[in-house]
Parts: sequence; structure tokens; C-alpha cells
Amino acid sequence: MPISSRGFARTSLIFILVGMIALVGIVATSVWLVERTQVYFEDVVEARDARQAAVQLRNLLQDAQSGQRGYLLTRDETYLVPYRAALASIPGALIRLEAVLTPHPQATGPLVEFRAQLDAKLAELTHTVELGQTGQFVEAIAIVRTDEGFALMEQMRTLLDAVIAAADALSFEGVVDQRAAWNNLRLVSVVGGLVILGVVGAAALTVIRYTRDLETARVEVETLNADLEGRVAERTTELMRANEEVQRFAYIVTHDLRAPLVNIMGFTSELEAAIEPIGKLIDRHPEDAGDPELEAAKLAAREDLPEAVGFIRSSTRKMDGLINAILKISREGQRQLKAERVDLAETIETALGSVRHQIDEQDGRVEVSVKTPPVFTDKLALEQILGNLLDNAIKYHQPGRPTVLGIEGWQEANGRIVISVADNGRGITPEDHERVFELFRRSGTQNISGEGIGLAHVRIMARNLGGDITLTSTPGEGTRFNVTLAPDLRTIVRNKG
Amino acid sequence: MAQESRPVTIVMIEDDAGHARLIEKNIRRAGVNNPIVAFGTGTDALVHLFGADGSGEVSAGRHLLILLDLNLPDMTGVSILEKVKANAHTKRTPVIVLTTTDDEREIQRCYDLGANVYITKPVDYEGFANAIRQLGLFFSVMQVPETA
Repeated sequence: MPISSRGFARTSLIFILVGMIALVGIVATSVWLVERTQVYFEDVVEARDARQAAVQLRNLLQDAQSGQRGYLLTRDETYLVPYRAALASIPGALIRLEAVLTPHPQATGPLVEFRAQLDAKLAELTHTVELGQTGQFVEAIAIVRTDEGFALMEQMRTLLDAVIAAADALSFEGVVDQRAAWNNLRLVSVVGGLVILGVVGAAALTVIRYTRDLETARVEVETLNADLEGRVAERTTELMRANEEVQRFAYIVTHDLRAPLVNIMGFTSELEAAIEPIGKLIDRHPEDAGDPELEAAKLAAREDLPEAVGFIRSSTRKMDGLINAILKISREGQRQLKAERVDLAETIETALGSVRHQIDEQDGRVEVSVKTPPVFTDKLALEQILGNLLDNAIKYHQPGRPTVLGIEGWQEANGRIVISVADNGRGITPEDHERVFELFRRSGTQNISGEGIGLAHVRIMARNLGGDITLTSTPGEGTRFNVTLAPDLRTIVRNKG
Repeated sequence: MAQESRPVTIVMIEDDAGHARLIEKNIRRAGVNNPIVAFGTGTDALVHLFGADGSGEVSAGRHLLILLDLNLPDMTGVSILEKVKANAHTKRTPVIVLTTTDDEREIQRCYDLGANVYITKPVDYEGFANAIRQLGLFFSVMQVPETA
């Protein structure tokens, strides 16, 4: 089933839409998942920071406590070095831990406790070490022995361990979440990719099918076109052949009509010649004037016979004229057309040249505008066509009005050449528009002599040249004859052969 | 015609009896008194020219002049012309084609086949009568050979 162009457009649009949606889905999910990953990563980083801060603070506290204990037990000052270093670092470490824990509201309470414990522990440490410095080691150890510091330490360690555990858990969770996010991303990408692939494949398939349909349609159209051209050429050839047939027929008929006509005319002449001596013979017998037979013979010889002969003569002459006219036309048809390069403007000028003085006599003027390429046609026939049309335009001018002729030539879009001859003559009534092209038919007042063969002749010639002639006219205003011609008679003549 | 002892016979092959009569009349008016034998069909004319056996021996020793119309009911004048010019006995016989056809190719063909004169019958009778009379005058000065 062929795809209609609308259907094709709709299907393509749907495919594009689906593809776009899939692509947008992939991009949006990716962006969202990357965002998520970022969050998980930050969580992990934060957890690691928290862990580090907690571990560092625990170590520092342990260092400080070990230093204190070592010093108090051994009374060796060197233990005070790590003790002091740890003590100096603790505030910084505390700030770090606080910073890490601040965003977590659940840590606020324990943190306050932790700070109090830390202060208490630091106070215990500082106090015992100070006691040791002043030599009161026993008192100091006694304070240590209360296990108050140890208890504080344990409490703080519990908190710190909790922080560490929480951080570890957070870390783990982050990694798991991130892996899940990656898996989701992969899934979305794969599914989206598959969708796009499917859409592209389907679209490609549609395009291929559509293209194939188009190609088939194009081939069909081409075949039809070639067929049509062939048919037109065939029809033209048929028409020209029919035209020729008619002309050949006319030629034969006129030829055969002429033979008896010559007899009629010939024997009429013989008869006429015979009347003369008979008349003389009768005139020679005036003495028999009373004889009724002689009177009748006299009447016959002097009046009846010459009258009859006269009618026979005038009729045969008229018939002879008609036959000659047909013969002239059919002879034109018999003539072999010779296609040659014809410059239309030049031909028109030549045709105008032979009627120029008549136009001048009528104070007339001619406007010529020819825009055609050179035409390949029979020059003689074209000259006769133009000559006939110009003759008519001048012959049937409107008396008392200066003749204005407009001659135009152009090429139609289909290649046909059109020559238009317009006059401002007396015009042709609408019912005569076709009639004037018929043989022996004329239009309007018969005040101008003519045989009525000019336009019939022109039409036959125009058709022989692969064209035709038509007219438009307004009675009293003028007539325009449009002659169409095949631009190249050679192609038609070749088709004919 | 300038043959004292054996007068030239004019063989007229013309299917239209009226034309034949008018031609004869006008030839006579030109002062030609030779015998004229008229044939309305090609077949009759061929029998006369070549005999019943078609050999043409009947024409041996005759002085003939043929007036030939091309449009005949039973055959074309061209084929008669062809036979006359191809036969050993009649090939020197002058043939005058007198017809209504003025087709250029037909004229050429007739001369190619050996026609001696080709005349197109004028359409109007005045011209026709005139042409025949002039043809008659031409006959009177024309030499016709004896057939072989």
C-alpha cells in the first residue's frame, strides 16, 4: 500500500516526537542522577570528614591523657611534650568536629554534653599536671585514681565512636546509593538508547518505503508522460494526414470535374459557332416571312439559342471558377512543405511591404512587435498566410477610419508560436466566426469582390504547418486573427514519415 | 505531316469521348488531315499498337504518332507509354502526353520513360482549343520516323 505524503509526514513527526521524548528522558534522568551522585558523593565526603574529625579528637584526647599519666607516674618532663602538643591541637579539632556535626540537629544535645565533658576532662588534665609541676604528684595521682577522668574519657569516647559509626554507616549508604544511581543511569540510557534506535530504524524504514513509492510513482508519471507525448504526436500526425487526405480528395474530384466541364464549355463554343451560320442562312430567306416555322426557327436562332448558350456559359464559368479555387487550395496541399529557418519579424516586414501603399492610401499605420525565437517552418506558406490576413485587413477596413494594424508574435509556454494580426476594420458578426474559414463562405455585406477562399486557404495552410487559426472580433470595431504554428515543422514532418 | 507516300496516322488514346471529339475538331481546324484513330480504353489501344499477340509486329512499317491521356479507366497512360517505348517496333514512335495532370513528378516520370512532349490540357476551353490548334500546327512541321 503506498504511503500518502500526509501520512508520511504524520508518521515522521510521531517518530521524531518519540525519539525526542526518549532523548529528553535520557538527558533529564542523567542530569538528575548525576545530581544525585553529587549529593551522595558530598554525603560520603562529609561522613569521611566527620569520621576524621572524631578520630583525630579521640587520638588527641588519648595522647593528652597518656602524656598526663606518663608524666605523673614517671615525673619525666618529656611526657609533657606530646601532652602539650595534643592540648594545643584539641580546640582546633573540636571546632572541626562541631563544624561537621552542626548540620545534624540530633547531634546538638550530645555535642553540648560532650563539650562539658571535654572541658571537665581538660580541667582535670590541666589541674593534675599543674599539681605535678608544683611537686604535688601524690595529690595529682590521687585525682587520677578517682577515675573521674577515665569516666569522662569513656563518655567522650562513646560519643566519638558513635560519630565514627554513624559516619561509616553514612559512607556505606552513600556508596550503595551511588551504585544504585549508576545502575539506574545505565538502565535509563540503555532503554532510551533502545527506544531511539527503534524509532530511527522505523523512521528509516518508512523513509525507504516512501522513497520507493515515490520512485515508482515517478516512473509511472514518466511512462504516462511519454505515452501522452506519443499520443499527441500521433494525433497531430493523424490530423495532418486527414487534412492531406481531404486535399488529395479535393484534387482528384476537381480534376475529374474539370474533364466534363471542358466538354460542356467546348461544345457550347461549338454550338455558338454553329448558331452563326444557321442565323445567316435564315436571314437569307426574307421572302418566307409569313411562314410560321421559319419565324420560330428565326426566333430560336436569334434569341433562344444565344440566351441558352449564354446561361450555359455563365454557369460553366462560375463552376470553373469554383473548381479552380478548390484546385488552387488542393494544389497548395500537394506541395511538399520545406521547413527552413524563418525570421518572423523579417517575414512580417516583407508581407507588409507588398501592402504598404494600400495602407498609406487609407492613412493607416502598422504596429509590429515580435518576440519569438527563429521558427523552423515553410516560409512560402507562412508568407501566404500573412499576405492573406493583411489583404483581408485592408480590404475589409471600416470606410472613413484610418486603418490601424497590430501585428504581434510571441511564443507560448508550450512552445507554440502565435502570430496575432489585429485590425480596426468592419469586424465579423459572432455567427460568422467559424463560417469565414469555410470554403466559398463570406461574411457581411458583399460589397467587395472575392471568391471566399482566402481564409479557408489560410486555415488549411496553418494546419499544414502544425497549427491553426482562430479569430475574435467585435463588429464595427475590428478583428484579431491568431495564427498558431509549430515551432519546428521538422519534428512533425519526421513523425509523419 | 511530311510523309508523302505513307501518311502518318494519329493514334488518340482518350477515354473522354467529348475530349476526343474536341481534340479532333481542333486538330482538323489547324489543317491537319491525317487519319485519326481514337481509342477509349487502354486495352483497345494496346491491341491496335501491338496486335492480338502483343508482339508489336503489326506496327512494323507504320508511321504513327500517339496522343496519350494519362487518366484511363482500365490502366494508366504511363503503363502504355512504358510499353510503347519498350517495344522494339514502336520505340521511335513519338508520344505526346495530353492530360489534365500537372503534377511535377508525373511530368518527370513521363519524360524519363521517353515521352516526347508533355502537354497539360488548359482548364478553360479557349485555352484548350488554342493549345490543340497549336499542336496541330506543330504536327504539320514534325517528322515522324517509320516504325521498325
